[in-house]
Amino acid sequence: MMLAFAMAAQAADWSGPEQQLARKIFAVTGPGPAVVTVENRSTLGRRGSEVIQNGLQSALQALGMRLVKNEQAANTVVISLSENPASYVWVAEIRPSSGENAVVMVAAPRPENSTTHESVPMSLHKISLWTQNSQILDVAVLEEGAAPARIAVLDTERISIYRMQAGKWQTEQTLGIVHARPWPRDLRGRLVPAKDHLLDIFLPGLVCRGTAGAGSGFSINCRESDDPWPLVPSALSGGNFASSPGSTSVTIPPVTAFYTSTRNFFTGVLTPAVGKPTTVSKFYSAAFLPLETSLLWLFAATDGHLHMLDGVSDQITKLNWGSDVASVKTSCGAGWQVLTTSAEKASGDQVRAYEFPDRDPIAVTAPIDFAGAVTALWTEPKGDTAIAVVRNRDTANYEAFRLALSCSQ
Amino acid sequence: MMLGAVVASAETRQQYGGTLHVTMRAALMTLDPAELDPALPDSIGRRAVSMLMFDTLVTLDENLRIQPGLAMAWQTSAGNQRWQLQIRPGVKFHDGTALSAEVAASSLRAANPGWKVSTEGDSVVIVRDSSDPELLAELALPRNSIVKRNPNNAFSGTGPFHTADWQPGKKLALAAEENCWRGRPFVDAVEIEMGKNSYEQVTAIESGKADLIEVVPEQVHHFSHEGRRIANSKPMELIALLFTRDAATPAEKLLREALARSVDRGSIHRVLLQGTGQPAASLLPNWMSGYGFVFPIDADLPRARQAREQVRSVPSWTVGYDSSDPMARLLAERIALNAKDAGLSLQPTTAANVDIKLVRIALASPDPWVALVEIAAFTGTAPGKESETVEDLYASERALLATDRIVPLFHLPVTYAGSTNLNDWVLRPDGSWNLGDAWLGTPVIAGK
Repeated sequence: MMLAFAMAAQAADWSGPEQQLARKIFAVTGPGPAVVTVENRSTLGRRGSEVIQNGLQSALQALGMRLVKNEQAANTVVISLSENPASYVWVAEIRPSSGENAVVMVAAPRPENSTTHESVPMSLHKISLWTQNSQILDVAVLEEGAAPARIAVLDTERISIYRMQAGKWQTEQTLGIVHARPWPRDLRGRLVPAKDHLLDIFLPGLVCRGTAGAGSGFSINCRESDDPWPLVPSALSGGNFASSPGSTSVTIPPVTAFYTSTRNFFTGVLTPAVGKPTTVSKFYSAAFLPLETSLLWLFAATDGHLHMLDGVSDQITKLNWGSDVASVKTSCGAGWQVLTTSAEKASGDQVRAYEFPDRDPIAVTAPIDFAGAVTALWTEPKGDTAIAVVRNRDTANYEAFRLALSCSQ
Repeated sequence: MMLGAVVASAETRQQYGGTLHVTMRAALMTLDPAELDPALPDSIGRRAVSMLMFDTLVTLDENLRIQPGLAMAWQTSAGNQRWQLQIRPGVKFHDGTALSAEVAASSLRAANPGWKVSTEGDSVVIVRDSSDPELLAELALPRNSIVKRNPNNAFSGTGPFHTADWQPGKKLALAAEENCWRGRPFVDAVEIEMGKNSYEQVTAIESGKADLIEVVPEQVHHFSHEGRRIANSKPMELIALLFTRDAATPAEKLLREALARSVDRGSIHRVLLQGTGQPAASLLPNWMSGYGFVFPIDADLPRARQAREQVRSVPSWTVGYDSSDPMARLLAERIALNAKDAGLSLQPTTAANVDIKLVRIALASPDPWVALVEIAAFTGTAPGKESETVEDLYASERALLATDRIVPLFHLPVTYAGSTNLNDWVLRPDGSWNLGDAWLGTPVIAGK
């Protein structure tokens, strides 16, 4: 597997601290000849430190200092590019040929985080939708053409609507979500676009109805409720689908599941029932796949096992999977895949697609890596893609991605 | 034969339930964050325990940015002399009463008798005698946790756990707070065994009786090879020689300089500390200040002897160390040998009345100014502060070192080992563990 990374480092303007440090050095040394060396003790890259080195030397020369290479100079100046958590710290140790050593320094603010764009190989792609500091619970794409044009972002205290304008996301509206009880830790929530109104918001013990108002505005109406959360994407709910081209089709019922108001899992109570069982084990997430004559439900249970229900039997399997699963219906392979998280790498979670011939999972894509833990994985309303939210381990930002399968390699 | 090896399960979503068992060396005699036990100085373990039960108005994140805690917002005026912090609504203490600005102000006054703290509506107002831009960093210190002190000498917090059983110096049992404003913690309970030496802690985790232990430097490699989950803080402890009184004469200053130059930090770091931490001649670790490397750490015996030879009469100094810390004895003995090479006489002892103490100072905060002020308190001085620049910080640190009261030796990280089914335990920037989001998974026995 080949991974290609492209770093788009933002060019930083170091001229301010360069001139500030140069002036401090010059105040000690005066205009005499000096040997100046620069040592990088920070996380700055080689290129960045070279840029700063050139800038410092230019600033010293502009003040009248003559930079020489021999050790006969009146002063030796060792500049260290260091750092502390708040800023870069540039320290100049000035060693005159006679007299006391001196130390001068400046703090240089860190530039905004550079961004990393990862090109994803193979057939599972991640498309960045949104990034923010606070926790993202779910993202819903409300309008799109070739690319998403209007999205809703649900976080722990508000829902925000953004519209793409001139290549940038612009805030359209933000509404706070009022809740009387503290949220559970590992808060989860869902945005479900609706046919007769804009969307529904499902949170533990709370359901909100979002309706479009006059113009582009919208409002939400929240109430304490344990209404069950939908498990089936709206585009697939009630439809007839075959497990593979040419086979008998099965109907996908609009199954919903009750969610605990004080924890992070579904209670196991389903409505309508999945075949005979009306209750399954407590679970974190669910996915489904049409079989030849029935629908196979997969529940990532809180006991760490995967429960496979076909309406009659409950087959329990221990797989090295994470606790989030999501179905996607695509035009690739058997037409139905299950995306699942795993935590095999210390640096972050992975998501991979599986198919279930003979009820045994077979990986059909290479895993794609994320720079942190996947905190949410939900199938999108059309059923062909999923939303993954990741807490980036390096930046601590939350990043929402759309995951899509591509048939071409 | 079945060979069992515990491997991490792949559950990525937090699980609720279970009791988390922790062991620690410190034997706390009080749980009141503001009441420092004179016999037991501030320790990183103490802070960790405190933050299980209490919250502060603000917190520091890993980038040392101030984040809201029990205060939702704040503003400053009068050149950082007056601070107003708006109290988060809807928060309740463990006893069921609501958090209010009055209770928060009362708590801060108890912890800081010198502060002027009042209330204004739903806000706490703090007015300092002079500009105090570090006030928020100070408010993030665990000792400034908001505590509701009840008349019967009991106190209540707003943290993720409340006290279930407290045996001072021995054991603390905590239960999950169902209505915690940050959400109920994942584990049902935390049990902390105190006063455990390193051998007892290792035995506890290896026998499955502990989920989280402290690891001393000489055990780090052992645990790393065992594949356990190890977490290191940034260097947050300063090991130093602290003179118990000011230098009375220029000759005494010369002898102190000779001692400081005689210590072979590099050799001690390699052999006794097995490479853990960093040799230090600065009070603040380099990661915190950014300039620590300008203080030379290498021993300079010729100059140490030169300084020593300028003094006619050389007293024999006693250097006290903590008898419960095996590493402290070894360090003291090694420093005495180094001093002898410079012509000085040091007598290691566990007696209380000594000339020099070998101290282990838990740096109060990752904020360098706050940390330096707290170190200065050990020497009975207060650093001057002209401005907020890094150069001013450096000048203050140099001035503190120039008092010849303290000789920095090493900066050490705090190291912990966790059981394989303990997940999402993280270290705060001050080195203490945070178990609010920790959860216990199911260990998988693999290999047959």
